[in-house]
Amino acid sequence: MTFLRAAAFLFAGSALAWPAWAADSAAPVPDLSGAWSRLTFGFERPTSGPGPIGRYNNQPNVGGNFNNPILKPDAAAVVKRRSETLRSGEDYPNPSLNCLPMMSPYIFRVQEMQILQKKDEVVFLFMQDHQVRRVRLNAQHPAKVTPSWRGDSIGHYEGDTLVVDTVGVKVGPEPILDMYGAPFSDALHVVERYRLVDYAVAKAAQEKNIRDAGPVATEQAASIDEHYTGKGMQIQFTVEDKNVFNTPWSAAVTWRRAGGWVENVCAENIHEYYNGGLTKIPQAERPDF
Amino acid sequence: MFVMPPRNLLVALACSSALAFPVCAKDGAPAAPDFSGIWARTTFGYDLDVSGPGPLKNLARRANGTSDAFKLVGDYHNPILQPWAAQIVKQHGEISLAGKSYPDLSNECRPLPPPYILRVAQMQMLQEKNRITILYIQDHQYRQVRLNGTHPARVTPSWHGDSIGHYEGDALVIDTIGIKTRPGSLIDMYGTPHSEALHVVERYRLVDGNAAREAQQKSEKEYGRPTTEPVYVDFDYAGKGLEVRFTVEDKGVFTRPWSSSVTYRRSSSDWQEIACAENTEEFYPGATTTVPQSDKPDF
Repeated sequence: MTFLRAAAFLFAGSALAWPAWAADSAAPVPDLSGAWSRLTFGFERPTSGPGPIGRYNNQPNVGGNFNNPILKPDAAAVVKRRSETLRSGEDYPNPSLNCLPMMSPYIFRVQEMQILQKKDEVVFLFMQDHQVRRVRLNAQHPAKVTPSWRGDSIGHYEGDTLVVDTVGVKVGPEPILDMYGAPFSDALHVVERYRLVDYAVAKAAQEKNIRDAGPVATEQAASIDEHYTGKGMQIQFTVEDKNVFNTPWSAAVTWRRAGGWVENVCAENIHEYYNGGLTKIPQAERPDF
Repeated sequence: MFVMPPRNLLVALACSSALAFPVCAKDGAPAAPDFSGIWARTTFGYDLDVSGPGPLKNLARRANGTSDAFKLVGDYHNPILQPWAAQIVKQHGEISLAGKSYPDLSNECRPLPPPYILRVAQMQMLQEKNRITILYIQDHQYRQVRLNGTHPARVTPSWHGDSIGHYEGDALVIDTIGIKTRPGSLIDMYGTPHSEALHVVERYRLVDGNAAREAQQKSEKEYGRPTTEPVYVDFDYAGKGLEVRFTVEDKGVFTRPWSSSVTYRRSSSDWQEIACAENTEEFYPGATTTVPQSDKPDF
């Protein structure tokens, strides 16, 4: 055994270690680990091909573009009703408001996350409400998936890219796919592709996203390390759901190194998004004891 | 010319990679125990069989002598409690005896601080070179522990607190301070309060399979198995278990530090999704919390 091969074997063979090694022990996988941050709720549109439905009249806080031709009629009606609800000054139920787990791609509205790369799995920690996603590497979806909020996610490395494939996302009474209010069905299939990109690419993509999607209206806990000029990370993803969309569509979200990590608990949040007020919660006139 | 012996070179390579997590000591030798994987417990409670000051025992017992999980009356006579804290525990017990649940971090979907988070039946440890992440099955909670770090001079209080850790031989030691307080903060199922002075030290160590089984059986003898949720332990697995010994000190609440332990064994199931916000089951069997219902859909 040559020295290099012996070293490679040692790296890749340790039961304890995550040696950042592909299944064939031939090439290192990209190091996506650490905390990442972004500054909007919105997705980046692809340069060509179908993209997310986008905002109604390209205005903030009025919901999704229910006239987008990629929507099937029933789905367009759902998006329209949700848009009307928003325009009336109310909000419609969604996982973020209801403290429920989020699925991909909706979960990318959470603006800070960590990636932990292990030998057999990749774990994503999201800052909002301690959410966790788990991706089994080099595995198969079960023949019969038990639906769950996050769905069943499997992944593998393709050169410099981590590919994550998700099915089996639970369809509740108000399924929400994205911040535009598009619904989804049990046919939802999402493929995400994670890869590192140059600092300049990441910065430009984030700045364009803020111009296109608009900055968030309320202060978020996430922050970007503005002094870090190393690699950013881009997730390109494709969504298909034959019951909701006439065609698969793609989008991207771009991340830079995070500036910190704080505890963010949904059950404690009484902030109302639209009027800037605080939700009234029951108050006791005197302590219970 | 100096020639590094191949074996040492390989170890140095394995231990020096910025990407990898080969848990290696400073001298380059593999050192840290492997806690990775999914672990499970069969009870919610802390072990009572400790030498020296220990946790509260449930005064309410079932006919078979085990702790009555639906009447949580912490032993407010336990000398670890300062008088005001004993009074709080007693009042929680009276609420429970009346057949009601008192506010609890678990039933309010809030993060659980240590040691209370040890009640969660299933957890997974992810070991990295500079950090330990612990995932808990209940409401997708996670804790993160900085290895070989120090607490900040000024800690921003949080539910999980600020945790630092280091390896001591075969043990992982986690030291936590800075746990957020509010009215009703508690660190066990009996409503024992804590203050901002709470300091918890946990020691994680692999133990022999038989020892782990016996520890869990002893805990079940005291607490019984939960009737309100599944048990995830792989009872056929004979390999190592995981013991967590912990010490709690809080000069605002306790008269002295006290200690206890919990023991995990390998889980029989993969990870299930438990979303607290979806749980309408009340703690007492057969009861379901009333949630607002619409007569007609919103649209």
